[in-house]
Amino acid sequence: MNFATMWSFSFLPRFWRYLLAFLIIAVVTVILFALREVLDTALIALLYLIPLGIITAYWGLGPGLTSALITFLTFNYFFIQPYYTLTVHRPADIVILVVFLIVAIVISQLVGRAQAGLAAATAREREATQLYELSTAFAGLPNDNEIAQILAKQVHAVADGEYVELNVTGTQSFSVRFPEMDAQTRPPELIVPIAAARGVLGEIRLWRTAPAISSRERRLFQTFASQGALALERAWLAQAESRARVLEESDRLKTAILSSVSHELRTPLSTIKAAASSLRGREVGWDSPARVELIAAIDDEADHLNMLVGNLLDMSRIESGALKPKREWNILPEILGSVLGRMKHLSVEHKLEIDVPESLPLVPVDYVQIEQVFTNLVSNSLKYAPADTVVCIGAQLEDEWIHVQVSNQGPQVPPEDLERIFDKFYRITAADRVTGTGLGLSICKGIIEAHGGRIWAENLPDGLAFNFTLPLIWNGVTPPQLPMDTESE
Amino acid sequence: MSNAPHILVIDDEQQILRAIRTILTEKQFKVTTASRGEEGLTLAAANEPDLIILDLGLPDMDGVEVCTRLREWTQIPIIILSVRDSERDKVAALDQGADDYLTKPFGIEELLARVRVALRHSARTQGTQSKVVKAGTLTIDLAWHIVKRGEQEVKLTGTEYKLLAYLAANHGRVLTHQSILTNVWGAADADHTEYLRVYMRQLRKKLEADPERPQYILTEPGVGYRFITDE
Repeated sequence: MNFATMWSFSFLPRFWRYLLAFLIIAVVTVILFALREVLDTALIALLYLIPLGIITAYWGLGPGLTSALITFLTFNYFFIQPYYTLTVHRPADIVILVVFLIVAIVISQLVGRAQAGLAAATAREREATQLYELSTAFAGLPNDNEIAQILAKQVHAVADGEYVELNVTGTQSFSVRFPEMDAQTRPPELIVPIAAARGVLGEIRLWRTAPAISSRERRLFQTFASQGALALERAWLAQAESRARVLEESDRLKTAILSSVSHELRTPLSTIKAAASSLRGREVGWDSPARVELIAAIDDEADHLNMLVGNLLDMSRIESGALKPKREWNILPEILGSVLGRMKHLSVEHKLEIDVPESLPLVPVDYVQIEQVFTNLVSNSLKYAPADTVVCIGAQLEDEWIHVQVSNQGPQVPPEDLERIFDKFYRITAADRVTGTGLGLSICKGIIEAHGGRIWAENLPDGLAFNFTLPLIWNGVTPPQLPMDTESE
Repeated sequence: MSNAPHILVIDDEQQILRAIRTILTEKQFKVTTASRGEEGLTLAAANEPDLIILDLGLPDMDGVEVCTRLREWTQIPIIILSVRDSERDKVAALDQGADDYLTKPFGIEELLARVRVALRHSARTQGTQSKVVKAGTLTIDLAWHIVKRGEQEVKLTGTEYKLLAYLAANHGRVLTHQSILTNVWGAADADHTEYLRVYMRQLRKKLEADPERPQYILTEPGVGYRFITDE
């Protein structure tokens, strides 16, 4: 803000404008009075016109015209003979006086009108700038709350108000306050509805005691409100659209799930049905070795079915965000031990190599979930890697993380698919070669991410490796070091 | 047999009731069934069975509550049935006094093993406690505080021995983290599962042939531990 605008009329209260005008007239009169004897009367009249122009330019038509009348009187009183009276003797003086009065009024009017026009133009330009800033700020904002925040902040800044509250009543209602503090108890000075084609979306409530809110400001805030309404409607439309897209996507996925799942579920069911019905009938003799075989098939396939259903439940839990790890300080080798204990009968065709150092700190994980991750990764390796190859499980400390790797000598994955293998229902090979819902790896991903870790796959020179990390810090706490008692009984 | 153990099964799924009743009757148990919690409580009070098999997902009331209400007046052993992924309920029921659990679907030999352990344990708490527990090459003398692996005595620290003694005295039963911590360390440390993890690991190193694949001290994921003996 430069000096001129600071002093210009719009920034000074009316009383001060008049007072300053009178002061200037007084000062000029004193100076001219001192020079009265050397200056010609006509020249004095001319010199008087200078402060008049300045006064009108800076403080407007009112002070300008008033000053013109006052100078007319002081000029007559102090500078036209006989001095100190308002009477005029010489005809030439009458002409000077009349001309002075006319010129003074004309100047005041011209300058004043130009000044008022300029002020209006400046105000319009400022409003346009403020509106422009507002719509730029709104551009691309997808979030209704952010839009409301910006609108409240802008109204507060432009109005120089004490407090602004914005109530939005859309699909969900909320209030935004600026500055953030407790709600005002007295009623606001201005309420502007945020109206859109669909109806009223909310209102802007402005508290500002002084100066009173002008009709120009009222109009401006109405424009603000309709800009806000447009932005809100746009945000809500965009949200609805993306919701629709998500629904469509999940619908497609559900169809894929249904077809994959019904296929996968039917396979073990067929086996169970065939085995059970043949045992029930008289086709298989009591001592036939086929009997043992059939019973084992029923048992195995029932387990398989149970695992499939478990996977589906896990996946739906991950999808709905209900998978909350029940974290405790655990020992990684203990978890791994119980996984390997249960997979003993599955891993006869492969050699398992474990490289998990004893010195690893305790890890803050959900025992059951991490057990599941190991189970899925190891069984995936056993499924794809050819018989008589090695499956390695290694773990090491990396700063504040544990890095686990499960690697096998199975087929590599094309680099572009390394991330996609963690997607639901993704399979590298044709579905008929291996069984499963195609959910195992995405469940691992869901669990590891719920623990705050990362999971990824990489090709090794002779196979494929799954890696995951787990944070050691839990709620800002490092793994506990336990004081061991060493005394013996 | 008139003195055949009497088992009350409370489950709302008729097929499960049918299967369990068939098998247990076949194994010479006397079986009563109930499909609702209130009905189960009434039958338990009227018949005073020797064992209760209780499903946690009942239509009329929470299985954990049935457990609590039974424990208000009786110490009849309770085996709970639960579906996978309900560790929280399972642990809650065990901490409310249930003796053991099985996760559906379960094998029938598992069920029979749990039933035998529970019946034996209740017989033992009524009679005298056996003083020596044997598991494979392990011998734990609870009276003399001596633990032997084969002929070799195993040196245990005070806490390690207390932990092993608690496990061995309750062999065959699942013990929740909380119950072990409360009994061995005291109620103030009931949340410190990390103590348990670390001491269990030490115990396994001293007692198990392969600590990574334990034979005696088994982990019950998300629930607790179980000590397995020859019996």
